[in-house]
Amino acid sequence: MITVKNISKIFYINKRQEGMLGAIRSMFFREYIEKIAVNDISFSISPGEIVGYIGPNGAGKSTTIKMLTGILVPTSGEIRVNGVIPYRERQKNARQIGVVFGQRTQLWGDLPTVDSFELLKQIYQIPEKKYRKNLETFTEILGLDEFLNTPVRQLSLGQRMRADIAASLLHDPAVLFLDEPTIGLDVVAKDRMRKFIREVNKERGVTVILTTHDMSDIEKLCKRMILIDKGKIMYDGELAKIKEVFGRDRILTIDFEGDVPFLEKGVQLIRSEGNRKWLKFNLEEISTAQLLAEIAKKNEIKDFIIQEPEIDYIIRKIYERGL
Amino acid sequence: MAGLCGKLRMYLEFSRISFQRAAAYRFEAWMRLFSNVVFLFMWGFIWYGLYMDRDSVSGVTFQSVFSYVLISQMLQGIHSAGTPLWEIQEKVRSGDIVTEIIRPYDYPTRLLFADLGSIAFYFLTAIFPLYSVIFLIFRPLIPTSPEQWFLFFLSVVLGYLIRYFIELTFGLFTFWLIETGGVEDIFYFAISLFSGATIPLWFFPGWLNTLARYLPFQGIYFVPNAIFVGELGGTELFSALTVQLFWVAVSFLILRFVWYKAGKKIVGQGG
Amino acid sequence: MARSIYNALRIYWYMVEASIRAQMQYSYAFIMNILGWMMHYTGMAITMWVLLYSFQALNGWVYWELIFLFALSVLSWSICTIFFFHFRKLDVHIVQGTFDRFLVRPISPFFHFMALKFDVGALGQLFFSIGAFILAYIKLSLHWSWAEWLVFLGAVIGGTLIQGGMLVLISTIAFYTTRSERVFWVLIFPFRNLINYPLTIFPKAMQMFITFVLPFAFVNYLPALILLDKADPVFPGFWGSLSIFVGILFFWFSYRVWQKGVDRYNSTGS
Repeated sequence: MITVKNISKIFYINKRQEGMLGAIRSMFFREYIEKIAVNDISFSISPGEIVGYIGPNGAGKSTTIKMLTGILVPTSGEIRVNGVIPYRERQKNARQIGVVFGQRTQLWGDLPTVDSFELLKQIYQIPEKKYRKNLETFTEILGLDEFLNTPVRQLSLGQRMRADIAASLLHDPAVLFLDEPTIGLDVVAKDRMRKFIREVNKERGVTVILTTHDMSDIEKLCKRMILIDKGKIMYDGELAKIKEVFGRDRILTIDFEGDVPFLEKGVQLIRSEGNRKWLKFNLEEISTAQLLAEIAKKNEIKDFIIQEPEIDYIIRKIYERGL
Repeated sequence: MAGLCGKLRMYLEFSRISFQRAAAYRFEAWMRLFSNVVFLFMWGFIWYGLYMDRDSVSGVTFQSVFSYVLISQMLQGIHSAGTPLWEIQEKVRSGDIVTEIIRPYDYPTRLLFADLGSIAFYFLTAIFPLYSVIFLIFRPLIPTSPEQWFLFFLSVVLGYLIRYFIELTFGLFTFWLIETGGVEDIFYFAISLFSGATIPLWFFPGWLNTLARYLPFQGIYFVPNAIFVGELGGTELFSALTVQLFWVAVSFLILRFVWYKAGKKIVGQGG
Repeated sequence: MARSIYNALRIYWYMVEASIRAQMQYSYAFIMNILGWMMHYTGMAITMWVLLYSFQALNGWVYWELIFLFALSVLSWSICTIFFFHFRKLDVHIVQGTFDRFLVRPISPFFHFMALKFDVGALGQLFFSIGAFILAYIKLSLHWSWAEWLVFLGAVIGGTLIQGGMLVLISTIAFYTTRSERVFWVLIFPFRNLINYPLTIFPKAMQMFITFVLPFAFVNYLPALILLDKADPVFPGFWGSLSIFVGILFFWFSYRVWQKGVDRYNSTGS
């Protein structure tokens, strides 16, 4: 479905000059710095896959998505989406893909949501029957009817995301690109979004590529993930494998009653702030229940939180240890 | 006294920052300069065309008018680097004005000093070099004595303050009017015509001239321009400066009053 | 071909209708906008009157002839702003990344962007220019033949295309520098002021520039020579009837440059 061969993307950025004299000088001369946003990346994706494309901010995720959707032309390398070179036949590519950018809407802010859909129907030349059927389906699953007649700029973030994803699927695309589809959403909205993406993938056979820096998006949706940092692919493969290696660490934040000295085997004290302690432990060595039981035996526990490692943590680990 | 020095140092720091930041807007600066030159060109030739086959009109020679246009365009160039109207409208509409009010400085003063920084930058890098060349080529009338130079500079500063206070006051009206559309256009029209920016007051019909003399706008460009080309002298000059001073004081008081009211409105409604 | 043009027009109409509906939601702002433009131009007409008060004529052009020149340029300008005025704001779309959406849709980005807004606020300028035009026509006691009305029509259409092309051309700068609105105000505004006065008062180099490089002369000055029965020492009278052709050519050129800008955007992003 998608093949990416050795693509790179280089940007040139204006350099800032320091001080009063620098300010005057840059009125007349400019200097540029080269920034390699994407550095020699290759991968291929089969029809029907859901692939998570993850990495920290500025890693090159969005740049890759922009190249796949035809918005940007790669500096070098080759891309094919369903046989089409996106940046060469942009309009042809546009017919077969759906795109959602989590941070900004693709809809017309001043118009009622349903009017945006109507406009898209015209733009994509969607046959009436297909349009009706899709709109009905999405309205039902996503509960769009509660805000179909509200102008887009008055929608809540969760509603807007639902409208946006429905809009991107009206013309039955073969591939769906989701750039941060759950950013800023609350837990319930995130869950709803994920459920919908899974359903679209399963029922309609749409290939889905999504970027995120929320690890749980990947866990709930993708078998496969591509991890990118500083423009390079750090890992491409099954999610299960990476979780086996790195995902077993947990952080336990715990509030004690009164100040207690803390000593526990196999557990690392990483931070301490009055009665609150941060402990790192590994599930291979001790289960959460065990650990809590051990602690509770000796101390009074007021409150606790258990956190999974965040994506930044995993990337740091990969740097430290390699795969 | 020490407190005053500290305050001044703080405000000058705003000038310094905006001086340095001004380079980031060099593109706009070049564009403004370009537009300024086109207008200079246009008005120069319009007056040249109007004076064709005539030595003097209303007792004023072409040489005087041409010099007037030159210095007026230069002053307008300087003024264009500091426009508080857009900034304050933006701040009011976005609600950011609240954060400016809770800071330990006086916002109108801060804005003035910040604009002085960008004006200094624009003057040094663009206006001064350009107009030096233009003055050398066209050799217009310039002040002939140190006193005349001094009075000109004084008048320029007063004129700048008048425009600044009026524009800021107008910008603050955004608190009460959501859409200033039509009012804004009348305001700009009044400034551009009655300030004598492009047409010296000498050529106005009698009644309009009289009206203009009673308005604050003539102090912005007309008075300094007329002093520069030597059309204002003696007692006339001093009464013109007094009128300018009067309008600086009045427009300042109005600004403070409107600012005070605006502050109350913000506090009263929580923004 | 005919079918795709029909489709394009249908899409355009759909989007335009939506845009008008969106603007009508803020009726107060809408009226203030129209009023503002009328004030702006009335102010300019008054300034011209003050300018000519002590002098009576500028290079042989009396006040109402200048107003005619002025009205002609505002007339075609107001029509072109209906379609293209929002092009000056292309920089906002590029900086905020919203331009991307025009690139992931199966229609031409130019067309899509053009259909984004149908600026009804331009009505203020239209009303002013029609009023000023009628007044000038009466005051100058003109009586045009059908040929002259044809020249007039050509000037309005040509002027719309020329100035529309200008707006498109300026917006292209946004692809290279991420700035266009400021460029618009400082570039178009002075030149539009310049052409409110007879070209003959300016030196030859400038006359050539606004005839052959940025063809503003075809917007009002050259057609006005025919329509007011005036002569120019350089330009033959019939040039004023060429506005429409110059307009088509210039607009086509601007459109191509804009397309180049999109290519550039494809390689640099924002």
